[in-house]
Amino acid sequence: MDAAMDRIRRVTLVWMITALVLFPAMTLLGYLIRRFQASPTPAAHPEWFYSLLTLHALGMVGTWFVSSMAGVSYLLSRYVRPSPAVSLGAFFGTLAGVVLVCLATVGGFFGAGWYFLFPLPLYPNGAWPAWATALFFGALALLGTSWLVWALDVLRAISQRYSLSAALCLHYLGASTEPEVPPIVLITTVSLIVCISGLVSAVIVLVLFAAHWAGWLNVDALLMKNLTFLFGHTLVNISLYLGLGIVYEVLPGYAGRPWKTNRIVAMAWSSILFLVLFAYFHHLYMDFAQPGWVQTLGQIASYFLSLPAAAVTIFGVLNLIYGASMRWTPASTLFVLGVLGWAIGGVAAVIDATVAVNFVFHNTLWVPAHFHTYFLAGLVFFVLGFIDHLGRELSPGEEPKGLSKFTVALLVVGAYGFVATFYWSGASSVPRRFAAYPDEVMRGAAHARTSLVFIHVFLLGMILYLWMAGRRCVRALFS
Amino acid sequence: MTVQLKALYLFLAIAALLILVFALAALSTTSSIPANASAASRLRKSFAILLGLVLLAALGLTLPNTPYPRQADVPEKVVFVVAKQFAFGLSETPITTEEQWEAVSSSAPLEIPAGALVEFRVTSFDVNHGFGVYTAGGRLLAQTQAMPGYVNRLRLRLDRPGKYPVLCLELCGMQHHEMRGAFVVR
Repeated sequence: MDAAMDRIRRVTLVWMITALVLFPAMTLLGYLIRRFQASPTPAAHPEWFYSLLTLHALGMVGTWFVSSMAGVSYLLSRYVRPSPAVSLGAFFGTLAGVVLVCLATVGGFFGAGWYFLFPLPLYPNGAWPAWATALFFGALALLGTSWLVWALDVLRAISQRYSLSAALCLHYLGASTEPEVPPIVLITTVSLIVCISGLVSAVIVLVLFAAHWAGWLNVDALLMKNLTFLFGHTLVNISLYLGLGIVYEVLPGYAGRPWKTNRIVAMAWSSILFLVLFAYFHHLYMDFAQPGWVQTLGQIASYFLSLPAAAVTIFGVLNLIYGASMRWTPASTLFVLGVLGWAIGGVAAVIDATVAVNFVFHNTLWVPAHFHTYFLAGLVFFVLGFIDHLGRELSPGEEPKGLSKFTVALLVVGAYGFVATFYWSGASSVPRRFAAYPDEVMRGAAHARTSLVFIHVFLLGMILYLWMAGRRCVRALFS
Repeated sequence: MTVQLKALYLFLAIAALLILVFALAALSTTSSIPANASAASRLRKSFAILLGLVLLAALGLTLPNTPYPRQADVPEKVVFVVAKQFAFGLSETPITTEEQWEAVSSSAPLEIPAGALVEFRVTSFDVNHGFGVYTAGGRLLAQTQAMPGYVNRLRLRLDRPGKYPVLCLELCGMQHHEMRGAFVVR
């Protein structure tokens, strides 16, 4: 192994070990949040609930974005050379950002939510000091800058071997299949172009917040909402897409069959590049002041985004494994289960992206139901699968098969049991982000109590997973 | 059946179908079946066309049922709503000052006639809030956002008399979960 490859391998291991520390910590915060909601009595300290909610959400979104980025960067190094130094810089920038976010939320009780809808951070009503708001914005600026530079470096690495049109596989739309482009290059290029537009949108939001705070500008609330959701929606989506990039690259090895780019794959990902930028409008359906044609466009884009996902990626995975001599390991099992979770969560999201349904689902627990499905039972499974794959590649060794199966079963039962309580609450009109429930929707407390059981199951699965895959990664890092 | 239950059942049915298809695909790996690219391509094409048609039909069925106000409908009553941390003020006359809001947000619930088409003109004096109209039994009937600088027009026709609680459906601060309002249909 050459020195550059060794550096990339070590940086990737550092990212993955960090994810394995952050994820259980953020899951514990999620447990505390549901503990609040499980209580039938009024919340004694709601400031803790809202600040932990903010930390949990931003922590989870950030953890899975950087994990999927690190996984994709490692796998891309088979074809191109992303800089390990830039990746390491992004790592330290992320760590510093995490520390600042922790100080702003746990230290300063900043509780405006992970997407800090304008102008709430500036209207704390005595709940958090101005320094906590400043610290939170500083953390976001640091995280955004680190991730933007990282995304640009990965695109730079791709551009050294492929032109933009080749990386986007536009030649496959015609008759040509040369140069051959692996799907991971196409998916990463599409994802990072979308990522950059989202991060630029976040920069504009932060600048406008600062200008409003300083009294230089009277900022429009609807514009800020559009920019905020362009950023939030795209960041979450591209994390999923990068996770899928990992699956496209690694799963064929377990199936013993190739999964190559072709005209259909190229068409699908080109359409995603376009559609994902308009799908975020579904977050604003209940802003009736938004022009009607924009709302219609939001529903059309959200619906048709499911077409390439279903007909190309989901169909592609099923076609890949159908009748294959599969090597079922925790990695390949988690990849396939992750695609299933992504599909199920996607169905719930498309249902919610119907204006007439969103009218009674928006900001109920149906929303965390679907995003926890494609995160917890989707992207998390992709990354855990990748960590298992990486660990076995770099530090071979076998655990008892029964233990591996039991671990995966605990993760699956824990994840689906947990999200089921959200779905039931959402269909029962229980609002999201309530520290305690009023009498009309007190049933939400019972659902939250049930969810605690499944969080325990999931955490037990995670402990076993850490003992298996985590230990292997640590061993590989120090070997 | 409520929209919520219809959506839940539809979701459960599709999720069950997905689980079944994935389970069958996983089970097929116990016996080696040679890959058949042309059959897969034909199946994919049929599936994509079918899914596209289903999505178009769903768009055709649901887009005409959006809750946005239509020019042709004339409301029989207008209610002015102002949200502010952490209460809703409802009034038959415009609320333009903090004092007016203080008065209406702490007064007895506003009454609206049963069966009348009512337009709620919803705005906010501070941050974003969500104006969520519930039944006394806790079912969400309708909602719109309350946004500073904008007026969202929510039209509702409520036939059943009784008290309708209003809960805030947008995170608005530390007492978000306690923010509420109400009106009475007679």
